[in-house]
Amino acid sequence: MSMLELKSVLAKKFAECISNYTLKNSNELYIEVDSPVTYNICSYIYQELGYPLISMFAADEKQLINSYAVYYVFADRQEGLLLIVKTMVKANKMEITSLSKIIPAADLYEREIKDLFGINPLGHPNPKRLVFHSNWPDGKYPLRKEFNLKQKLDFVQEKISFQKVEGKGVYEIPVGPVHAGIIEPGHFRFSVAGEPIINLEAQLFYVNKGLEKLCEGQSIEKCFYIAERISGDETFANSLAYCQAIEKIAGITVPQRAQYTRVIFTELERLTSHLGDLGGICLDTGYGFATFQFRMMRGWAYNLADELCGMRFLRSVNKPGGIRKDFMVGKKSILLKYLQKIKKELEDTVDIIKSHSMFIDRVENTGILKPKIAADLNAVGPGGRASGQCNDVRKSFPYAVYDKLEFEIPKHYNGDVNCRMNTKIEECFTSISLMIQAIENMPEGKILEPVTRVEPYRFAFGMTEAPRGENIHWIMTGEHNSIYRYKIRTPSFCNWPALCHAVKGNIVPDFPLINKSFNLSYAGNDL
Amino acid sequence: MFDIIKKIVKYPRLTNNYPDKALDSSLFIGSPEIDTDKCKLCGECVRRCPSGAIKINTVSNSITIDYAQCVFCVLCEEVCRSGAAKMTNKFELATKNKVILQKSPWVIDENNIPYESQALDDLLQSKIKKTLGRSLHIREVDAGSCNGCDYEINGLNNPFNDLERLGISFVASPRHADMLLVTGTATRNMQLALLKTYAATPDPKLVVAVGACACSGGIFRDSYATNNGIDSLVPVDVYIPGCPPRPQAILYGILKALDKV
Ligand code: SF4
Ligand code: SF4
Repeated sequence: MSMLELKSVLAKKFAECISNYTLKNSNELYIEVDSPVTYNICSYIYQELGYPLISMFAADEKQLINSYAVYYVFADRQEGLLLIVKTMVKANKMEITSLSKIIPAADLYEREIKDLFGINPLGHPNPKRLVFHSNWPDGKYPLRKEFNLKQKLDFVQEKISFQKVEGKGVYEIPVGPVHAGIIEPGHFRFSVAGEPIINLEAQLFYVNKGLEKLCEGQSIEKCFYIAERISGDETFANSLAYCQAIEKIAGITVPQRAQYTRVIFTELERLTSHLGDLGGICLDTGYGFATFQFRMMRGWAYNLADELCGMRFLRSVNKPGGIRKDFMVGKKSILLKYLQKIKKELEDTVDIIKSHSMFIDRVENTGILKPKIAADLNAVGPGGRASGQCNDVRKSFPYAVYDKLEFEIPKHYNGDVNCRMNTKIEECFTSISLMIQAIENMPEGKILEPVTRVEPYRFAFGMTEAPRGENIHWIMTGEHNSIYRYKIRTPSFCNWPALCHAVKGNIVPDFPLINKSFNLSYAGNDL
Repeated sequence: MFDIIKKIVKYPRLTNNYPDKALDSSLFIGSPEIDTDKCKLCGECVRRCPSGAIKINTVSNSITIDYAQCVFCVLCEEVCRSGAAKMTNKFELATKNKVILQKSPWVIDENNIPYESQALDDLLQSKIKKTLGRSLHIREVDAGSCNGCDYEINGLNNPFNDLERLGISFVASPRHADMLLVTGTATRNMQLALLKTYAATPDPKLVVAVGACACSGGIFRDSYATNNGIDSLVPVDVYIPGCPPRPQAILYGILKALDKV
């Protein structure tokens, strides 16, 4: 449905209830809605129009409109449209009607908003704390503007309980937050009967750093560096989403050469990440040879990063308005050399692992994420694509120069570890091909259109396809080139609940393998 | 099987010989430095540095970069109008003394350096190193990182670095560990877990802080949810600057803790 059609459909159906339509940045349609009808409009958009809820957040706009605002972000991925329902929440009535019962994906967002703003989701099926653990005092909401960033609150002991599964022979296994491997912290509570897992509840947010609050009031320049550090191995995807939002607000056209360069770094990051994940899957099946093959290739990808920019994590490559330096000058042959080498080795290794029946036995039908659940939870990235959710920001909301390059999105339906592995293998080859296309077609020219002054209280989305999937940032600028509100929604936030579903019915020893096949970021989730 | 043997023959050994053989660091972006002769103390870098690492001392008219806080972002080099701030390719930056890190590159006030260890401590330290020197077991703890540092620690296990060749290995439990390798700012929610892990590690033990976050809070300093570095909670033996420090920089720091470099 095009933007105009959408507008008339909504106007016809909800004429009196929608007070304002604003079109921003060519594809973001904001509609302002009175709070009593928000529930109806959102369920109509979700159920009748079939748009998934891809983000939801609140903002403290007391200084601007004398109230809090809650934004529900729906996407039309065919048309590349965003439909944003904005509703006000007055300080004397801090509540919204929960949508979780009809939109399962809303569950976590509503709990997040409750923790950070103190806006109550009425009728929420499980209004448990999300961001805060038991040590956080009641009644403190960090994203309200009056909350002082630097204050250290006392540690308290509030009670939080885990889901209980009861029955004969059911027992619980608590794991974490410090795990056996070199991975990030999180607490997993398994309910198990015999061998199979009946339920898994993940308590995350151990590495919550208050990142969104940390950015408020800071300069756009500084927040760029914070954005790079949202999730280490997705540095470039996050920095690019940040830059896109700022560039839209500033009304800047990024030079073509910078856009092509961005494609190369985005894909290099994906390749590095996927090679690591594939190695991890092999490691967790005890397949040493293949593990080291993938680690070797990953090492080459890092060497390539060093060759191109001197930073293994591609930091300080982007810059709002383009890229920091013309990194690709004279680098074509070395890039091609590395890519050929990785491609050849990857082909060989994939042949070897796929002919290993014991390995395939282990990954096939393990950790199935059903397409229906994947759709309900808005599972994104390789995790979603392995379960029939063929979405990719590079296709649905093309950025940089993806609309000029040729590539296919993998699609698998079984949703098991094998499908996720195959998705990642195929994407590795796609990334290599995209990098080659980009370097071949890269024009000469400028690489940066500097962002000088940015108007206050403008807002925009920045969307990228991170290695783990759809990545959405929303920025509202403040006075003097600062950030007023920065909402980050990384793919990991969507996929954690999906992972918890995928392990059900599997045996506990398979959890590390299933976990690896998603390889979600804790830092990107916890912020 | 034949294919596997072919690969093994093709890549007999990938491991580099660091630290015995120096690494070619010509491509790396390492720590920034400020050339005092060129620096006009205009303060532009001080205002813009995202991690607040650069400080001007108006009394002594000197400028310093706190490597414990620096995130190696290249911005100071970009904004410096007199060409004084420059990124180098130095990556072996780990030190045992935070004050040295904070006051680099110059003006180290002798009186201000706390002694690393008193006589008794010295004795103990040398014993630890003797005991742990030949084989070292490390437990990694992520106390609130962005995962960059953790991936670099993971990199120590790849075929290029192969940490085990030096008799160093990662273990699954702090109870088996001689050294804690800690990343991240020590967030509010990880604080207790870090303290418990520290307590569970048998004495004698070493603690190494990896990355700007663990050394000082890095770019996430001063938030309601973080601490400014892990040394506000546990004693630290070696600080490894970087954001993230590359695997060899971490290896250098580990060996430094053992007095092997
Ligand atoms: S490189 Fe370090 S000192 Fe220079 S601006 Fe960045 S954080 Fe500050
Ligand atoms: S020091 Fe840098 S790379 Fe390491 S955890 Fe902190 S932000 Fe991430």
